Amino acid sequence: MNTNHPLLASLADEPPPFPDSHPQLQRLDRSVLCTICKEIFRAPVTVTCGHTFCSECIRSSLSVMTDKKCPLCHATITEGSIRRNRAMEEVTEAWETARDSLITLSQPVAGPSRRRPPPEPNSKSSSSTSANLKRPRRSDESRSQSPNKISKKSTDHVDHVVSSDSEEEEQVQEISENDEGECPLCSARMAIASIPMHIERGCPPVSKKKSAPGNQKADWRKVFSMAGSTKEKNVSMKRITSPNYHLATPTDLRNILNEYSLPTVGDKPALEARVRQWIILFNSNLDTEHPKSLSALRAKLNAEEISKKRDKERGRDEAVENLKTTEGFAEHVRNSGAEFERLRKEIMERDAKRAKAAKGLEASSAIEVD
Amino acid sequence: MVLSISSRRLMKELKEIETKGTPPGIQLLKADDMETWIFLISVLGDETVYKGETFALKLKFEPGYPIDYPQVTFLSDDQYQPPLHPHVYSNGHICASILGSEWSPVLTALSICITIQSMLASCKKKERPPGNDRYVRSAPLNPKLTRWAYEDDTV
Ligand SMILES: [Zn+2]
Ligand SMILES: [Zn+2]
Ligand SMILES: [Zn+2]
Repeated sequence: MNTNHPLLASLADEPPPFPDSHPQLQRLDRSVLCTICKEIFRAPVTVTCGHTFCSECIRSSLSVMTDKKCPLCHATITEGSIRRNRAMEEVTEAWETARDSLITLSQPVAGPSRRRPPPEPNSKSSSSTSANLKRPRRSDESRSQSPNKISKKSTDHVDHVVSSDSEEEEQVQEISENDEGECPLCSARMAIASIPMHIERGCPPVSKKKSAPGNQKADWRKVFSMAGSTKEKNVSMKRITSPNYHLATPTDLRNILNEYSLPTVGDKPALEARVRQWIILFNSNLDTEHPKSLSALRAKLNAEEISKKRDKERGRDEAVENLKTTEGFAEHVRNSGAEFERLRKEIMERDAKRAKAAKGLEASSAIEVD
Repeated sequence: MVLSISSRRLMKELKEIETKGTPPGIQLLKADDMETWIFLISVLGDETVYKGETFALKLKFEPGYPIDYPQVTFLSDDQYQPPLHPHVYSNGHICASILGSEWSPVLTALSICITIQSMLASCKKKERPPGNDRYVRSAPLNPKLTRWAYEDDTV
C-alpha cells in the first residue's frame, strides 16, 4: 500500500516513533498509551483488575456496556471501582517531557532540526515525520490556565480538583503565542493565541459548513456567550452521581443541566443523553492534575452532540432506504422494538415535511452514498 | 475538519497498517474515508474449506467508535460473495459475539478481521445458518439492529 495515504496528512504532526534499533524505548512509549483511544493516557484511572485507561475512555465504555467488564481482561468491574492513578499520570507527563530528547538521542544520525513551519494541512510529504519532534498537545492541554480558573471559582471540595501545592513547576512550552497550533478540542489549526477564544466560541469550524439547525444551536451559543462574559456560577467540583434515568422526569434532568449551565432543550431522551455525557466528561475531569475549564468541557459536549446528531441523520436516511428495500417491516418492528418504531415515526414525519417543503429538492440526500 | 475521537483512532489504526502491514490473508482494499473501510480476507493453507476464495469485509464506523462497535458485513455484489458459513447470512450479515455483546473498545479494525478470518479457518462444513432465508427477507440493512442469539462462545 502507498505509505502516503491522503487521510494521514492530518497525522503529520504526530511525533515520530522510536527507531527499531531501540525496542526498549518503543515498549516504554507503548506503555503510556491507553488501549482504548490508543493515545497517551489522559486522566489515567485504574479499575479493580488493575488495568489502566483514560478516565473518559473507561467511563464512556462502561456507560454503554450492559455487562460491565474490563475491556482488556473481561473482569467484572463497576464505575464505583474506578480509582484515579496519580502515579501513572506523573509517569505519563514525565515521559512526554523526556521523549523529545530521547528521540534525538536514539537517532542514528544527528538529530533533525527542531523548528520548522507546521506542515501544510494537505501536504503529503513524507519528510513531515522528521519535522515536528514535539508530541502534539492533546485535547486537555489548556493546562496552565484551567486549574487556576477552577480553584478561584469553587468554594468547596477544591481538593478533588487541584492540589494546592505549587512546588510542581509548570512545564514551559517552547512555542510562542504566534505559532500555529492545534485546537485541543477539534484539532483545527490556527494561531495559538486565538485558540482560547475559538474554544470559548464552541469550536466553530474553520471552513464554512452547514451547521445543525434549530434552537439547539442558539441555546448552545447562549451557553458559550454567557460563559465568556458573566461569572461562572458556583459549581460544586464534586463527582456527579448519576440520577436514576428511569425515574427522572425531564424537569429533574433539566435541573441537573441548569446546575452546570448547560442547554435544556430537547425531549427526555435528548436530555438524558446530554446528562449522561456531561457526567462522563465532568467526572473524568476530576481524575487529573490538569482539569479543563468548565467552558472547555461544555465546548466538548457541544461538539460531541453535533457529531452524534449528524450521525443520527445519516442513520435515518439509511433506515428510509431500509424500509424501501425490505419486505418484513412488521417483523422488523417487533425485532427492534419501540426504538425502531420511534425512528420510523420520525422518518415519516420528516419525509412528510420534506415533501411539503421542497419537492424533489432534497431527494438525493435520502439515499446513502456508499 | 473536526477530528472526532473516532477519526483520530481510525487514523492511528490506518497509520499502523501502513507502517506495519497486515497479517497474511488480510489486505486493506479501500479506506478512502473515516467511515467505511473494506478488507479482503482469505484463509491460507490447504486445510480450509475456503481454499482459493477471497471475501470482502466491509467495516462501517460511527462517531461512537471504538466505544461502540462498527457495522461489519461481507460484501455481496457482482465481484464478491459472502462465504458459505454457519454464522454468515447470504446478505453478508455475520453472527459473531465480538460484533455485539462481546465487543471491547480495545479491539481494532484489524482485530475484527483476524477474528473473522479465524472464524472462517475453523469452519469444517460450508453451509448457511438455519433460517437464513427468513432472516434475509426481513433483515435490516444495519446488522447492529438485529438481536443476535449466539449459539456458542467460540465466535
Ligand atoms: Zn484513552
Ligand atoms: Zn482488566
Ligand atoms: Zn495517596
